[in-house]
Amino acid sequence: MIGNLILGGLAAGSLYALVGIALAIVIRVTDIPNFAQGEMAMVSTFVAYSLLDRYGLGWWAAVALALGFAVLQGVAVQILVIRPLIGGPVLSAVIATLGLNIVLNSIAGMIWGHETHIFPSPLGDAPPVFVAGVPLPLDSVANIGVALAVILGVTLLLRYSWAGLALRATSQDAVMARLVGIPIGRSFALAWGLGGLAGGIAGVLVAPALFLDTNMMGALLIKGFAGGVLGGLSSLWGVFGGCLVLGVLENLVGAYLSPSFGDALTFIVLIAVLTIRPEGLLGRVRMRKV
Amino acid sequence: MSGLAITRLTVRFGGLTAVRDVGFTAAPGRILGLIGPNGAGKSTLLNCISGITRPSAGSIRLDGTELAGLSMHRIAARGIGRVFQHPELVAGFTALDTLRAGCHRDLHYGLLAELFALPAARRQEAAARHRALAALDAIGLAADADRDMALLPYGHRKLVDLARSLMAAPRFLLLDEPVAGLNDAEIDRLADMLRELRDVRGLGIVLVEHNMALVARLCDEVVVLDAGRVIAHDVPQAVLRDRAVMAAYLGEAPADA
Amino acid sequence: MTGRRLLLPLAAALLALPWGVGGYVTYLLTLTFIYALVAIGMNLLTGLAGQISLGHAAFFAIGAYATGLLTQRGLLPFPLALLAAALLSTGIGALAALPALRLRNLYLAIATLGFGTVVQKALFEWRGLTGGGAGLELAPPHIAGLVLNNGRALYYVALAVLALGLWCAGNVARMRTGRAMLMLRDSEIAAGTLGIGIARFRVAAFALSTFYAAIAGGLYAYLVRYINPESFGLGLSISFLGMVVVGGLGSRAGPVLGAVFFVLLPEAFRGIKDAPGLVFGLALVLAMIFLPRGLAGIAPRSWRLT
Repeated sequence: MIGNLILGGLAAGSLYALVGIALAIVIRVTDIPNFAQGEMAMVSTFVAYSLLDRYGLGWWAAVALALGFAVLQGVAVQILVIRPLIGGPVLSAVIATLGLNIVLNSIAGMIWGHETHIFPSPLGDAPPVFVAGVPLPLDSVANIGVALAVILGVTLLLRYSWAGLALRATSQDAVMARLVGIPIGRSFALAWGLGGLAGGIAGVLVAPALFLDTNMMGALLIKGFAGGVLGGLSSLWGVFGGCLVLGVLENLVGAYLSPSFGDALTFIVLIAVLTIRPEGLLGRVRMRKV
Repeated sequence: MSGLAITRLTVRFGGLTAVRDVGFTAAPGRILGLIGPNGAGKSTLLNCISGITRPSAGSIRLDGTELAGLSMHRIAARGIGRVFQHPELVAGFTALDTLRAGCHRDLHYGLLAELFALPAARRQEAAARHRALAALDAIGLAADADRDMALLPYGHRKLVDLARSLMAAPRFLLLDEPVAGLNDAEIDRLADMLRELRDVRGLGIVLVEHNMALVARLCDEVVVLDAGRVIAHDVPQAVLRDRAVMAAYLGEAPADA
Repeated sequence: MTGRRLLLPLAAALLALPWGVGGYVTYLLTLTFIYALVAIGMNLLTGLAGQISLGHAAFFAIGAYATGLLTQRGLLPFPLALLAAALLSTGIGALAALPALRLRNLYLAIATLGFGTVVQKALFEWRGLTGGGAGLELAPPHIAGLVLNNGRALYYVALAVLALGLWCAGNVARMRTGRAMLMLRDSEIAAGTLGIGIARFRVAAFALSTFYAAIAGGLYAYLVRYINPESFGLGLSISFLGMVVVGGLGSRAGPVLGAVFFVLLPEAFRGIKDAPGLVFGLALVLAMIFLPRGLAGIAPRSWRLT
């Protein structure tokens, strides 16, 4: 019983983590919390849905194309909406992402309607795997695996590639990065593209588990933020850990205390962390620039 | 124990030590120059005194009371004024608004009095406005009262900024390169103002400055910082002849002199 | 002083209006006044103090439910219930946001986002008090023995509260707290070294804005006389913020213009479900890029707060 609750929590937490990672990449490089991240993921999931349902593509092909779309969408948002606001107050960019949140939700509603759709899983009704006699639903295992793979991939990319170096330099000090010849515009766009990708992956994993509808990412966005704050938005592994802890806590509290309390927990955790350790469990305080 | 006494002050950022074991005392009614090549830790030191940066070790005492570790506004409330190298602009503020903001600590009405514009609030606001206009008049910028700060010439903006920090009647004033970007006439006016503050109001002034001619004619004593340490502390004439000081500067010419 | 000369005819027109237009238009105008009140509060928080809240629908909701329940159960007369509800909402808000208010802007947005969701959840779950998803129906309110059972009466109440709210916000904006909030928005450090307590004035801005939202919520409860947790979600919180942004951050007329825009929009696109949202969202994005002063940026300077 408790083993399954924990596994379920880890699986849910992995989904939060994918959204959290998307948010954290963008925040680290451009300092902007992207409140449209969830809706961007929702749209790219609908794109996958259309490719599957209307154009009859296979699952993998549809999802691969949709993830490509998710990257382009992130880059396009950065170039069209965010870039003109660079240099102004962060507030303006944040408000723009909120506006974008509404725009994307409305557009999705116009194209796909607000009713719920069923989004298939590539695993179908595969039987659970048994580990030490405990049945583990395959999709839960897959969620955790994918989230791990994404965070590992992003970490490696940041550490060992040129693009990653440019991203890290830009996130440290954009002015200095520009001075040493790093095209920071490209770094910003890349960060948004990567964020779009991580969010898009979350979308195609969430949709089969729940339903596909225009509001499916709203709760996930909040949990991604909360888990991120818990673990520390400045560290990708912190975000991952924070989201996993949040997912497991939610499941345990929901099962043993009360189901509705599970959701309130998100907020309680958030307030507690902000009071006690605002930089998050694994995060570091950034030096103030004067 | 009168004065602003800095003892064994150290500031570390991660592995970098920006200020190391610095000590000196600034006395009321005197102008203390703080000079040194770029990166010597002068601004960090001022930020420490103002409470913007927390010192890693050491103490900052004003007439014997510890300031280190207090928040910015509490330090300001004890009588430490600060003028930044570049005046911070507030969108939409006129010169008059800027000076009235400087009166913040003299306004004692509550939020309710403010919401309903009760007589107490009106009276104090009127007094603040009066003082602000008088201060503008005193620096010869009465005509700029209702102009947007962003549209004022840079020199005027710096004067207004200085006047603003004086509205709170500080006992010590920390100035970061007050004449950078000013023309000669403006520099003379500013020097006169500082002298008057020292001699008439008895203000203690700590002046970070690259303009050596100004330092020589204005300061009563000079502290030289290099790589976060005090390398000299004497009257200006002696300091400017000092070999160690010359060496510190020769490596890197002062940028704004 | 064009603004002042316009004031008298404008007031006369607003007083006469409910007698010349139908009940539905009176309703829309009252709704506009109510939203404008929230937006005025948001303007203090966002336009002046530079902080973002994504949870003001929750304060609006607490105001609505508390006012409704206090009057409906005969605990307090309507005007006092309105005030008590607003104080309650402000108290809860200040407590919940206190930790985030000491941190970077980003954290207040995230914390209030979480807070808004939890309050909505609580309204759904606390059925004994709120009626849960079934909603809460309210009888018309009384003021001093008078039953406000037609739309006109509430119109005048809302208009009076709006006028008072505008005046008070104007006072704050041009006095000590307003200047302190603007300084905090544009330069925390300069503000601090002038002796302005950063946490204190952020809390003041937040508390004021939640108070406005809660008063508006109380009026809203009696305008629609049926409240349901469904209406108080994240979408509404974003809309409140959006009204100020579209109207013009930091301007006096901005919040009102934004509220007018927000109420008119669905009327203009009646029957096209997602069009108002699309236009509103686009307006937000475009306002940030092309019109940072919002609709009020087109207005003469004397209308502006700062």
